[in-house]
Amino acid sequence: MKQLWRGLVAIAFLAMLTILGGCGVVGVKAWQRDILARPEMQFDNHLNNRSIDDHVYFSKEAASGGRGFGGGGCGCN
Amino acid sequence: MQLAKPRSIRTGLAAVTAALLGPGVSGATGEGQSETSVLIYSESQRVTAVEAVYDLNRHLKGPYSIGLTLTYDGLTGATPTGGAPSKIPQTITRPSGGTSTLVPAGQVPLDNTFKDNRFAIDAGITRQVGRLATLSFGGHASAERDYSSLGVNGGITRDFFRKNTTLGIAGSWFHDVTSPKGGAPIPFASVPTDTVSTGERREHHPGKPKNINDLVVSLSQVIDRKTIFRVNYSYDRATGYLNDPYKVLSVVQGLTEPDPGEPLFNVYENRPDNRTKRAVFGEVRRSLGRNSVDLSYRYFWDTWGIRSHTIDLYYNFHVGDSSSLEPHLRFYRQSRADFYHPFLVDSVPVPQFASADARLTKLNAFTIGLRYVFSIEAGSRLSLSAEYYSQRGDRSPPETFGTQSGYNLFPGLDAFLLRASIIHDL
Repeated sequence: MKQLWRGLVAIAFLAMLTILGGCGVVGVKAWQRDILARPEMQFDNHLNNRSIDDHVYFSKEAASGGRGFGGGGCGCN
Repeated sequence: MQLAKPRSIRTGLAAVTAALLGPGVSGATGEGQSETSVLIYSESQRVTAVEAVYDLNRHLKGPYSIGLTLTYDGLTGATPTGGAPSKIPQTITRPSGGTSTLVPAGQVPLDNTFKDNRFAIDAGITRQVGRLATLSFGGHASAERDYSSLGVNGGITRDFFRKNTTLGIAGSWFHDVTSPKGGAPIPFASVPTDTVSTGERREHHPGKPKNINDLVVSLSQVIDRKTIFRVNYSYDRATGYLNDPYKVLSVVQGLTEPDPGEPLFNVYENRPDNRTKRAVFGEVRRSLGRNSVDLSYRYFWDTWGIRSHTIDLYYNFHVGDSSSLEPHLRFYRQSRADFYHPFLVDSVPVPQFASADARLTKLNAFTIGLRYVFSIEAGSRLSLSAEYYSQRGDRSPPETFGTQSGYNLFPGLDAFLLRASIIHDL
């Protein structure tokens, strides 16, 4: 199981690096922001849903935070 | 269908702080957005919860925008007490002493009288400062039957390098008070086996406070026309009453006693009065034609000895001008806290800290879900999602012996989450 987890973490890192590595020069000009302006390319798209999910995980797991604040506000954990 | 105003990447990056600050400062389209959500959470034979959330983000005249989130949670069902199974049926008493429950032989004790309601309000305001920066402030208040919370937060973001890079820093402070019926139990005191009178339970007991300080530093970077990346570092420090007043540990017979492993009685848990949590979170989002993928990873560690890895993957399929399908996978793994003990052993010195809370042991969790979003009328969308959450833990921890060796000390958790949201562009 531990090896499986190491594999998953390695795959996640490699996928991130692959996505980032194929990008060439970092940054865009003002007129190249058409795709980035789409709602699905915003980090806060569906933020409400992610917050509700995080609340569930906060109450069931020991770890929290990272995406945003990690503690307080609920007696569920 | 009304077309949403194209959002500048500026707005999108300002939302980095929105994510840091929680609700209230999202970079919504046009004049703003409202979202009403209902979530049903149901564990197999355990807790059922209903959560309703109303979320409003609105741009005001000038450089200001405001946000408001109202939340209601209703929970009921059975939850593990932390006690160990016994070969004979056990009668367990609620920490408040109000009711008792009969637990079948060989099963992990569950408190099936668990019931709570929670109301929360979060409000925030964001001010654009010049072309490149935002300032945000917000507040939080929530109340449960036995828990209350007040909090404030604030943050700042600043764009650099032709708005391709955004740095953000946000902080929050919470003051939470736990007030269980009958008062907060004394650590390691024996759990009474008899119920107490209503009058005794209604006696006033001072609440137990804790303070939580959070700091999140964020760096977002536009990589190219199709890719955006961010990395967050979060620091969270909690001090005060960190025990769960409803969790107990069983004291079991030692190896030299007549029935090794068999529970004798239960005691209340005791955790350290401070905890520092840290996390590094990385997320990349990339457009793939009309689809997009979002992959994130979090490494978490704290002063209680817990380490965890979380991988989250969303793939957004564009299935029409106004609809999308989004599968979701999540993998989670955590190690156990230094002071986690599945039980204590009679006539062995009691450790300084101990808890048998199943959330503090070694466990893996897995989520699989699907979300469908479609337009219902001009400027309004309906979002439906279903998720399955599964948790598996250490069924037989290394220190298990005697009769405890024959039991499953971590019954799996299987939960379904169903959610419906209506989103209106203002």
